[in-house]
Formats: sequence, structure tokens, C-alpha cells
Amino acid sequence: MTEKAYPAPKARERSKWLRSLRNDSSLFLLALPGVIALILFAYLPMSGLILVFKNYNFNGGIFGSPWAGFDNFDFFFSSMDSAIRATRNTVMLNVLYMLTGTFFSVALAIALNELRSKGYIKITQSVMFFPYFISWIVIGAILFSLLDFEKGIVNRMLEGIGLQPVDWYAHPWLFVVVLVLANIWKSAGHGAIIYYAVLQGVDTSYYEAARIDGASRWQLITKITLPMLIPSIILLTLLGIGGMLKGDLSMIMGVTFLNPLLLPTTDIIDVFVYRTAIRSGEFGFASAITLYQSVFGLVLVLVANKLAGWYDRDSKLF
Amino acid sequence: MAIRENRTLLIFFYVFIGVFAAICLIPFILAVSGSLSSEAKIAANGYSFLPQGLTLDTYKFMFGSKSDEIVRGYLNSVSITVLGTVSAVLVTSAYAYVITAKGFRFRGAFAFFAYFTMLFSGGTLPWYILTTKYYHLNDTLAGLFVPYLLNVFLMYLQANYFKSIPHEVVESAQIDGAGHYLIFFRIMLPLGRVGLVTISLFYALQFWNDFFLPLMLVTDEKLFTIQYMMYYMMANIQFLASGNASRISGALIAPPLETAKLAMTCLTVLPIAILYPFLQRYFVRGIVVGSVKG
Repeated sequence: MTEKAYPAPKARERSKWLRSLRNDSSLFLLALPGVIALILFAYLPMSGLILVFKNYNFNGGIFGSPWAGFDNFDFFFSSMDSAIRATRNTVMLNVLYMLTGTFFSVALAIALNELRSKGYIKITQSVMFFPYFISWIVIGAILFSLLDFEKGIVNRMLEGIGLQPVDWYAHPWLFVVVLVLANIWKSAGHGAIIYYAVLQGVDTSYYEAARIDGASRWQLITKITLPMLIPSIILLTLLGIGGMLKGDLSMIMGVTFLNPLLLPTTDIIDVFVYRTAIRSGEFGFASAITLYQSVFGLVLVLVANKLAGWYDRDSKLF
Repeated sequence: MAIRENRTLLIFFYVFIGVFAAICLIPFILAVSGSLSSEAKIAANGYSFLPQGLTLDTYKFMFGSKSDEIVRGYLNSVSITVLGTVSAVLVTSAYAYVITAKGFRFRGAFAFFAYFTMLFSGGTLPWYILTTKYYHLNDTLAGLFVPYLLNVFLMYLQANYFKSIPHEVVESAQIDGAGHYLIFFRIMLPLGRVGLVTISLFYALQFWNDFFLPLMLVTDEKLFTIQYMMYYMMANIQFLASGNASRISGALIAPPLETAKLAMTCLTVLPIAILYPFLQRYFVRGIVVGSVKG
């Protein structure tokens, strides 16, 4: 009898589902522009990775070009040297940026945390943060005025103290030092803000208690401040592992102008793809290295996230 | 004894911070004084921290003979920054609203749909082919901002701001019969404005400083942005300096290239420097919200 009095549960569920779908339709519409952007510029490029199995030609495009099987990989392995060089440069630069960047960010944050003059902190912090807002193109132009062989300030200073001028743009390994310093200059102030914010959240009673016990300033730093920063340092470093294969094309182009003399150390994967495929039109080899970068990039992100999750459950990204 | 040790360390910290801050500032001083120097003096004595033969000749030259190009580059950069920021903030905040809408069954799916793109990417090459050959965004103004309309990181940042809005506000509006559009535009956007300002600034900075999109998509000089013009100029100077070309044409180069480059630098940094005191507060907050409590 009851079955007649009330609609069948299934039907009721379906009408509820329909009603909520109608309710939700406005949400779908609100998300739609974002969904389209993600599909066009993130998801379709992922599917575009099938390019690696294609013999790309302009008329056929990604999906219409003839299949090439594993030819592009043969090509990839046959010129392994350039792939290895690009990978080495990418990882090497990223590791150096991470180590030096973290060191300076932490050192600056600790130093800021010790200062007592509010005005001094505010001004220096603002100044240190400013380079973060400047593009690599602008930085490259200024750097050129510093490092230019004849007119650059650095060489004129070297000459001033009786040393030989250095042709900075002709020594690939020396230029690694320039890149690392430029990276510290641009981003250490930004990193310091993150660590300084962590320190602002530290309970001051730790310091008061240690002071009463007669701890020196140096002991306060090594026994309280630094340990307070360690979790953030480890976490940001672990998450940074995920980006190890990603290179900054704008940085290399802005600072080196793709100077061929510097390519032995500045030819990162992104630069390599730009040079070979986009500028010279050789898609086969570049597509293989793109696929390799994407796949290993995913593996690295997953590993980094797993490690971060082990280290601290809350900080896992997903 | 202990006090003295502490004081030395404290002085060291003051000096360390001061020196680092000075190093951050010096390159800009160099650029400003270079742009105010005379080309001949720089060619003869090299660059310096103080202007040599203080003159506005470079700026006069740039806004005289080159003014069309520079003004156009500036206008392109400004239009892209404004159009890009407005549309990106709308797209981003709407998406952020959807993934924070309470009771929406697919919000997790939408969140993951965006999140996955942070994990895996097809790389530059397929992106480039699709954008130029299939979407035909090369050499168009739209091409210089449409690819950046949804930055997933900023979307999550905005979602964090939306989450901090008390749910009761939304609930009472729903009881009054308000739909999602009304809630989004009339309640969430005004109440989440701190977040909106923050992500607007991040987007504006990204659009203003962007070099990647013009590099990939633009060959038409009419669409050169100020950043791309600078790169173009620098790459040409580098070419002239590296080859024999400089020996041959060095004396013949009439335009003040060295000072012009630095003047361009100043013009590119100027808008950021003017807005910086206002921007900084929001950026600091955004960074802290995004990285510490992300």
C-alpha cells in the first residue's frame, strides 16, 4: 500500500537529482570560463604530447600529421648528449638556486627577527622585496651595464684594484655564478618574507624563558629561532623538488640573450625546446624531450608531495 | 661580557640587512644615473653610479624620434595589463566561488580539475602548436593575455579568502531566495575584496612583466609590449657588441643605445615603483596566506 502513497524511492531520488542539477547549473556556468581556459591551455596541450609519436608537419598539425612510431625516440637517444646537457643544466641551476636562495632567505629572516628598530625593518624589508617585482628582461639590461667587458662597472672596479677585466659573457661556468647571484638578488627578499612571517608567529614566551635561564643571543637563534624555521625549510625544499625539471625560459633569455658562448651551462630544457623547435622548427627531437620533461616532472611532483606528506601530514598538497 | 657579545651580533645583523638592502637598490640607482648621462661620456668612461654630464638627451631622443614605438609599446603593455587583469580576476574568482560553494556535489571534482594542471603539464611545445595553429592567437592582442586567464595558484588563494567569509551570510541570502549569481556578484565579490585586490595585483604584475607570451606569439611590431621591446633592443645590442659589427658601425651608431637601454629600464620599472608602496602590503599578505597557510 505504501508503495502507492509515496513515489518510488528511485524516482524520488531522480527528481531530487534533477532539481539539484538545475540549482547547480548556475555554478557550472560560473566555472565554465575557467574550465575552457584549463582545457585550451592545459588539458589539450597534455593530449598534444602524442606529438612525440608523430612525424610533425605544419599542414597536418598535431592530430593530422602521420604517425611516426618510435622514430622520435630513436632520434632522442641518438643525440642523447644534448638531452643530458639540458637536463643537467636544468637540475644543476635549480639545485643551486634552491640551496643559495634558501640560505639567504633564512639568514635574512633570522637577522630581521633580531632587529628592534621597527622603522629600519620596514624600510629594509621594502627595499629587499622590490627586485621580486622586476622582470628578468629589465634585470638582464641592468646586469649588462654591470658586466659589460669595456664599460661595465664590475670590470672597471676590477681594473681599479689592479686586476684583469673578465669577459663575463664568454665564460659559461663563471656565468653560473652570475645567474645564482642574480637569483638571490631577485628572490631572497621574497623568501625572507615567508620565513619572517613564520617567526612572527612564534610564541615569545619561549624567548623569555630562555633569557631568564641566561641564554645568549646566539643561543636563542640556534636553539629557538632556527628550529622554529626547520619545518618550513624542509617543507618548502621538499615541495621545490617537484619543480626541479622546470626551467625559467624568461630568466635565461633575459639575462643571457641566448648568447651561444654561454649555452654549455645555460641551455636548460625549456631553452633547448625553444631553440630547436620554436625557432628552428625541428619538432621531432624537442617533442621527445618535452614528453620526458612532463613525465619525470609528474613523478618528481608526486615524490615531493609524498615526502612532504610523510614529513608533515597537514602540509601535503593533496 | 655576555652583553657585549650580544651587541656585536646585533650590529652584525643590522649591517647584514643594511648591506643586502643596499645591494638590492644599487642596480636601480645605476639605471637611473645611466639614463641621465650623456651617451658620449658613457662610451668614453663606462657606466657609473652617478650621472655623467647630467642631461635629459636620452629621454628627449626616445620621446622624439622613437616616441611612436615607445608610446605604442607602453599602450600595448597597459591594455594587456588592464584587460588581462580584469578578465582573469573574474574568471578566477568565479571558479574559486564554485570550488568553495557549500553543498555543491562537484566542487571537489572542479577543484581537482584545476589542481591536476599543477601536477602535470604538456610542456611548451604542444601549447605553442595549439595556440598558434589551432586557436590562431599568434599576432593578436588577445593572445597576450587569454592564455593566462586562470592561474590555479591564485585561484586557490582567492578560494582561501572566500572560505573565510562566514557561511551564515551566504545562508541567509539563500533563504531570501538569492541564486548563485546574485550571491557571487553581490556578496562574495564585495566581501572577498581583500583577496580580489591581492590576486589583481599578482595578475597585473604578471601581465606587465610577461615576456613569454610575446616571445612565443608575436612577430608583428605593432603588438610589441614594453618588455618585449626591451628584449629586442638588448638582443640587438648584444649582437652588435659581440660581432665585428661594433667595430665597423660603432662610430656610426647615432642613437644613444647605451643610455636608451637604461632609460627603457627606468620607464618599465616606473609604474611598479610608483604603485609599490601600495602594492607591497597586499603582496606580503598574499604570500603569507598562500605559502604558510596554503
